[in-house]
Amino acid sequence: MTRLFTVQGVPVWRNIVVLRWVTQLVSAVLVLSVVALFFVNVSREIEARDIPFGFSFLTRAAQIPIGETVIPYDPSDSYAYGLLAAALNTVKASVLGVILATLLGILVGVARLSSNWLLNKAALVYVEAFRNTPLLVQLLFWFLVVLSLPQVREGYVAFDAVYLNNSGFYLPWPVPVDGFWLWLGATALGIAVAVIAARHLQRRETESGRSTYPILTAAAIAVVVSVIALLVFSPMTLDIPRAEGRFGRIQGGAQLGGSFTALLVGLVLYTAAFIAEIVRAGVQSVGKGQVEAARSSGLSALQTLRYVTFPQGLRVIIPPTISQFLNLTKNSSLAAAIGYPDLVSVASTMTQIAPAISLIAIVMLTYLAMSLTYSLIGNLYNRSIRFKG
Amino acid sequence: MSAAAPAQAMPPPPPPPAMTVGLVGWLRANLFSSRVNSALTVVLGAVLLWALVSLVGWLLFAADWAVVTTRTPLYLVGLYPAAEYWRPQAALLLVCLLLGVTWGRWGRAARGFALGLGVVLLVVGLLPHGMQPLNRALLLLNTAALGLGYLLTARLTLGRLPVFRRVAAALHARAARLYLRRPNRLPPAAWLTVQASRLLNAGAVGLGYLLTAWLALERRPWVRRAAAMQNALAARLALGRPKRLAALAIVSVIAALLLIRGIEGVPGLTPVNTQDIGGLLLNLLLALFGIVMSMPLGIALALGRRSNLPVVKMVCVGFIELVRGVPLITLLFMSRHILPLTFPANIHVDALYLSAITITLFSSAYMAENVRGGMAAVSEGQVEAARALGLRGWQTTLLVTLPQGLRNIIPAIVGQSISLFKDTSLVFIIGMLDLVEMGRVTIQGNQEFLDNGREVYVFIALVFWVFTFSMSFVSRRIERALGVGRR
Repeated sequence: MTRLFTVQGVPVWRNIVVLRWVTQLVSAVLVLSVVALFFVNVSREIEARDIPFGFSFLTRAAQIPIGETVIPYDPSDSYAYGLLAAALNTVKASVLGVILATLLGILVGVARLSSNWLLNKAALVYVEAFRNTPLLVQLLFWFLVVLSLPQVREGYVAFDAVYLNNSGFYLPWPVPVDGFWLWLGATALGIAVAVIAARHLQRRETESGRSTYPILTAAAIAVVVSVIALLVFSPMTLDIPRAEGRFGRIQGGAQLGGSFTALLVGLVLYTAAFIAEIVRAGVQSVGKGQVEAARSSGLSALQTLRYVTFPQGLRVIIPPTISQFLNLTKNSSLAAAIGYPDLVSVASTMTQIAPAISLIAIVMLTYLAMSLTYSLIGNLYNRSIRFKG
Repeated sequence: MSAAAPAQAMPPPPPPPAMTVGLVGWLRANLFSSRVNSALTVVLGAVLLWALVSLVGWLLFAADWAVVTTRTPLYLVGLYPAAEYWRPQAALLLVCLLLGVTWGRWGRAARGFALGLGVVLLVVGLLPHGMQPLNRALLLLNTAALGLGYLLTARLTLGRLPVFRRVAAALHARAARLYLRRPNRLPPAAWLTVQASRLLNAGAVGLGYLLTAWLALERRPWVRRAAAMQNALAARLALGRPKRLAALAIVSVIAALLLIRGIEGVPGLTPVNTQDIGGLLLNLLLALFGIVMSMPLGIALALGRRSNLPVVKMVCVGFIELVRGVPLITLLFMSRHILPLTFPANIHVDALYLSAITITLFSSAYMAENVRGGMAAVSEGQVEAARALGLRGWQTTLLVTLPQGLRNIIPAIVGQSISLFKDTSLVFIIGMLDLVEMGRVTIQGNQEFLDNGREVYVFIALVFWVFTFSMSFVSRRIERALGVGRR
């Protein structure tokens, strides 16, 4: 009897291969049965309560107004197009937010490293205040601040071109006309030349030990070429916003609506506090010997940061910063609370007529796709900085 | 002449060195170390001063705090029935007692938090504003409970309290110096004058003397007797043992929860509608539940992800990445529309439980990634040593890798707890009236408060900040107590 259940003298219930298979089988059955239970319950409820389901609604006209969009949108457009417009709104907020938050975060992080006590502590207070309070409260606060700006007629105006009032923020924006592609090509050429020049100068600097200002020179070359091309081809006209009509409604230019401005300010200030801490920790993670060596070689504190500690710290800084970018993108969904038509907010409006389950699935898949994009960037970076050899 | 020539050739003596110590030295080193730094200090100082002055001016004069002070219960407990306010109060009393006990047992790690809470309670309890005398008395009772818990467990005599010790030492020194001068040898009138001026100048040194004499309490027989009794009591309660402390904690938290929710059929404890539990109470309940439950779930998910069984691993990775890839707001949205459908039709699940479950699941995915990171940081040698000693796979994980991994990630766990606490403000999506939503409703629902939004949000932000900041403070203390980074 015992012989039957033994393999090479080991009873079956102690055989590692069998144990592994049994464990996996049991867990798979458990997970699958839970999922199946949910599925059965959900489908029964869907039938019993006659809840609409499916994706056929996507091609119908949405009949839902969206306050501001990147691409032209009309309520008679389809649900699918409306969701795309909303997703692009999310992308717009995230991209702008990521750029501004990175800049501010690095600035504040460097301030946290400053030997100037006042600057250091001011940055500390900023970081502790903004990191430790809910983003939602901050967004509501900024929205309130934007709403309490003067009305359109009495709003702030600079040079008759930049408007700030409680309906939003308006600034001139270039519009491409004929010759835009020529200008773009010329600028690209200029940048290419600048990169080659920078490399050459950098090599000379490394060889001779004398400053040749490679980055400054390259930037000058690129800017000069681009400006000359701009004058030659005149590829763009400036769309200047102007107040029109009896109510002073502002037309033209780049328009950042009130809720978008509040969202952007809130996201940037919140995320920058986190990025600042990452930058500080990253720079401080560089060995003390590096700093001492740099200072005794005669580099100033700022030069040490610029040429020694910051570049080495980047290895530690970038991965968590990318995850902060992802957080910012996900946090932009809080726009729903202040009325900016991002993906979540538009989708939740649509649930009043369209099937909620399908909409939620679409929204979640979109965010998953965005987060996968960020992970991809992060993985590519990690591969590129791996110690070679 | 010849003697004068070398003297003329001598260079002029160098200027005395700039002060490098004291206030001036500190200013030079930290604010005016270079021209750029000095300019920065001046400009930034001016800007900050302006900001500070306008902020303080707004806080004290321009802001109208009636929107906060007249509606305090709404922010604290939401729509909780006013007749039952004693229940959250009593729950807070339990928590305070527990905190006091923890402080007595652990000392340093909980002291700052306990003292902070005590001060806040005391200040709120004593501030002049429209609070019912009963509630005010209960609030002050909380402070007493905090102290009682401490006295019950800490084996101490008053004289050993660090604060008392330090003050007593300072006063002793002062008094000793006073004795040494022997001023009573002067003529009586002059002696009086000198003594009076000294009293004034030294800030009532006489009082200090009295205090010193009184504070040398340990020498008094009655104090010694009381201390011995208290010590005996603490020993009898044996709360010093961690297991009993944990049991006490669990029992009192459950009792507090039951008090708040109510029990069916018990007179005086009628169950409260879960929709009515709101305000800060809701945020705290959700955060407590989320933190406590997401910890074991997160550990389980992390172990699953580290497992070498492909099916288990796949399920865990799938769950973690799915949850981490989407905003909490969409998950809450889902919990409102889909989660109710997954339960059998006859079971109705309240929004409170739905949001608690969702927040826990969301947080556990992040916790799992933290735990995994912490375990990956445990050196391979530890595992090899454990295996060489004959520990099995699961024993190695549970007894060696996991404990060390968890110690590695204390800051990450606290960070996750902080962000979970902040995220509880998102439950407005499924119609819960938490602190933030309560503030918004108060502003938008009352004509007279329409312009007081800033006051409300500043107040709410401050409340959140106090909690999150104390969490990170306690975390630093625990880290130090466990010797992270020093071994």
